[in-house]
Amino acid sequence: MLVFAISDKGGTGRSVTSSNIVYRRALQGSDVCYLDFDFGSPTAGAIFSVSSVARGTTQGGMHGYLEGRLADPHRIDIWAESDREGLRAKPPGAGQMVLFPGDEGGGEFSTVSEEMLQRCVRLFARLEEEFDLCLVDLSAGRSFAAQMALAATARLPGVPFRWLVFHRWTRQHIIAADGLVRGRQGLLAVGVEHGHDKETLGDRIRFVRTAVLEPDAAELEGLRETQKAWLNECDRELRELAGRHRVGRTSMLGKIPLDPVLQWREQLISDEDVLSSQIANAETVAAFDDLAKKIVDDSAWEAL
Amino acid sequence: MTPAYATFGEVAAERRIASAPLSHVSIELGHLYMEDFQAGPDRLREQFRQVAPWAETMRRSWQSRVPGGRARVSTCFLIDDYFSRFSTPAELVPMVLEAAAECDLTIDYLARESACAEADGVMLARLVEDRLVTDPPAGSDGSRPPVTETGWLCNGTRSPYSGAVQAMGSARRWEPPAQNAKRRHSIFVDVELWDTDSRGRTWSCPFLAAVWQLLRLGLIRNEGELPVRPKPRGASFPSEWDDLPAIVQLNPAAAPFSAYSTLSVLSSRFLPVELAVRTILSQVFVDAQVLGQVADRSGGEGIRLPDELVDRISYVFLGA
Amino acid sequence: MLVMGEVRTGLLQNSGEIPESLCQSVLGLLSGERVRVSRRPIVYAVSPDQLTGVDCRLASASQARVRGVGTVLSRASVTGGRVLQGSSHIQVVRSESDHRLSWSHYLARPGVVEVFGKIRVPDLSEGFAESARNDCLDLGSVSERFMDAVQASPFLDRKAPFRSARTRLRWVAESGPTGSGGAESGPTGSGGAESGPTGSGGAESGRAGGGARTPEGTGIRFTLGRDQVRTLRLVLPGGFSPGIVDFCEDLALHDWLLTTLLVIVEKARVGTASRAEVTAKLAPAVDHLLHLWMPAARLDDAFAPFWETLERRPGFSRQWHSLVERVRDQVAINTLALLRETGGW
Repeated sequence: MLVFAISDKGGTGRSVTSSNIVYRRALQGSDVCYLDFDFGSPTAGAIFSVSSVARGTTQGGMHGYLEGRLADPHRIDIWAESDREGLRAKPPGAGQMVLFPGDEGGGEFSTVSEEMLQRCVRLFARLEEEFDLCLVDLSAGRSFAAQMALAATARLPGVPFRWLVFHRWTRQHIIAADGLVRGRQGLLAVGVEHGHDKETLGDRIRFVRTAVLEPDAAELEGLRETQKAWLNECDRELRELAGRHRVGRTSMLGKIPLDPVLQWREQLISDEDVLSSQIANAETVAAFDDLAKKIVDDSAWEAL
Repeated sequence: MTPAYATFGEVAAERRIASAPLSHVSIELGHLYMEDFQAGPDRLREQFRQVAPWAETMRRSWQSRVPGGRARVSTCFLIDDYFSRFSTPAELVPMVLEAAAECDLTIDYLARESACAEADGVMLARLVEDRLVTDPPAGSDGSRPPVTETGWLCNGTRSPYSGAVQAMGSARRWEPPAQNAKRRHSIFVDVELWDTDSRGRTWSCPFLAAVWQLLRLGLIRNEGELPVRPKPRGASFPSEWDDLPAIVQLNPAAAPFSAYSTLSVLSSRFLPVELAVRTILSQVFVDAQVLGQVADRSGGEGIRLPDELVDRISYVFLGA
Repeated sequence: MLVMGEVRTGLLQNSGEIPESLCQSVLGLLSGERVRVSRRPIVYAVSPDQLTGVDCRLASASQARVRGVGTVLSRASVTGGRVLQGSSHIQVVRSESDHRLSWSHYLARPGVVEVFGKIRVPDLSEGFAESARNDCLDLGSVSERFMDAVQASPFLDRKAPFRSARTRLRWVAESGPTGSGGAESGPTGSGGAESGPTGSGGAESGRAGGGARTPEGTGIRFTLGRDQVRTLRLVLPGGFSPGIVDFCEDLALHDWLLTTLLVIVEKARVGTASRAEVTAKLAPAVDHLLHLWMPAARLDDAFAPFWETLERRPGFSRQWHSLVERVRDQVAINTLALLRETGGW
């Protein structure tokens, strides 16, 4: 299955969340890979703690492959090549976890040529043979990468795919996320242009809320009653807004709580980070775990 | 022989290739388009008058090569019914035959141009298109699919156009196209094979002419069979082009339609077309077994044919 | 003689095995040409031969710049309606010319790549087997493209029963000590029918490449590399025969079966996961793989000794049969346990 991760605005924690989803899915026993399609900023290596490709690879990555400069893009076995010792031992029963980094110094593309599209289709088809889950991390906003993803999946009718739209729990983000999906030149409109059925495509898109601060969270206990009341009111308003923009509960696949580790250091959160060093919250890991299951759980993707 | 060994034989056994009867040379006496027809029978007679001595020269040349002078020479004539339809077979064919007879030429076979696209239910042009193996520019290491512009075929590397570039990447300057087999300087040829419109695909004139040459050389097979066999002429010619067989045998005593080699006598206005035809033919892969059959047959007669198809084709270009 | 090739092997992307009749549509990559099928001892269907033009460097161990021009001969095949292979190879010969000739010259020699200058067989075979360099001849990619074309067939449902990686077998075959002079001495003839392997039964097998045939001087070396890469080096008496390609494809097929079954068994976590989980993970192997093991089924007798060597070491069939037994035992134990639980036994 192909899963595309996109956000309308930057700073949603899209990359770090999708990396963690991939990691959790691998721990759950699936063979997974992560494709860095954030062409303007190919830094997925940093999240997986592979310092040699922290700013992209020099051995020919996604850019070089899509431009036709090489046949086999550089692939990195995270279990073998991560700098974090905790990641380097593949737990028994875990699946493969492979990173396809972008090229160091690579930039956004200015157009999608037919040749590029064909290479992209071939790549998706080949990876789908080998991996249970291929997560494609797209850059924020409308991009040629997103257009290429829509065009490529239209040419692979037999390959299942899903979209995750990441947004923060703010007015601006909610409106933007809706616009990215349903607005002018949004995912649905461009998808239809490339041959997707609007309704079917719509059913394959879900929202993920990031950096969510629940009004009843433990962190908020020290707040004054007036502050709490105000927060509750804001949350109610946002929920209403989300409902109006069809970004509400029914179309939401999951939410990731605000976690300092994700804010200050974008990284994979291991069980060790929660249990031994206790730098990360258990709720965060639980949310990743839940998302990783729901991504492949058909009942979570029933038509709305 | 073990049973497993015996059954493996079935794979090879299924590949049977029919062989074509072959003349020594196939001479194309002319190619009739609407404009020639519109110019009237005099134009046709003039054309045949010019062709006759060249056809005779080729005939003599083969007679001197073959023991006993028993050269098998067949002649053919192609009428365009693909790009434009004019007149009817019933009206046109007798006129052509009469004009030829006046110049002491015998037309053995008459073919319709649309037969090169599709004949007797076989999509001949598709068959040939599938067998194009593009001439690789230097640096083609197999890692990328051959560079093709859909519907076009060239003999080298096209001038790069500004395709997908990365943001903040460097822009490309113009570079010339290059011929792959160039000797210092290039003669770059880019041939349009077909185009499409609402009615579907229309093959280009050079592409159909390339199919025509392959038919005359007896080198096309469909599932091992000969795709087109000449049909004897009826008592009269039909009033619809579609009712005329793809290739009609006009002369019952004619030597076989296909031949080891071909000669086309053409107006020099066809020179660019034939350059395109050669560009196409030099990139068509013909089944090795079919080539082997032809090589065996000719070898048996003591005739050595050039390995390369384009070297089996000769032309005479006539001035206006 | 110097022949090199690369076979890629993977699972056909379909829920079940495909019937023989569908092989025709799936492998029909060339109009007007039939897919050939043999039925015993296992259904094997092979596409018509395909050509790809190349003009590039050939990898050499000494890093010498060796340029070759010619055509790569490829085909795709499906075994047991289940395993897909893409296979490409070339015969390397010395060019009679010092510059590139017209393309029709090379097209008349299918599967032959002409090299400018003297051919140093050990240098080239070493270079090719060693590792894939980026700017050198890449037969694997050619093979993969034909696989991709098959996998993209609308007749396949793309619902494969399990995920698996494609394996890569890179192979080089050269003549034994007395035969190597054949390649050194120049191209083999100039006749169209004589010059190239057709891979379709058209060429005679065992044609000597200029040197004398020697019964001795044969050898085989199979190396399991990193990831999915395997290399095979063959030293043969005499010249090229299409049987070499068949042998390499057969070896690649069985290596893939073994590799894939090993991964399935490893992932089943026998002894750790619950019995039901183990059985569920092993089920696809039982359904789709176990019956496909048939080494040397379609091979030229001349290659039987090579298989026998490989059976002694590393012992392909030994490992396979032991794995198969393990799978069957697990499934049997789990069935018994299930029967006991449900009180049926």
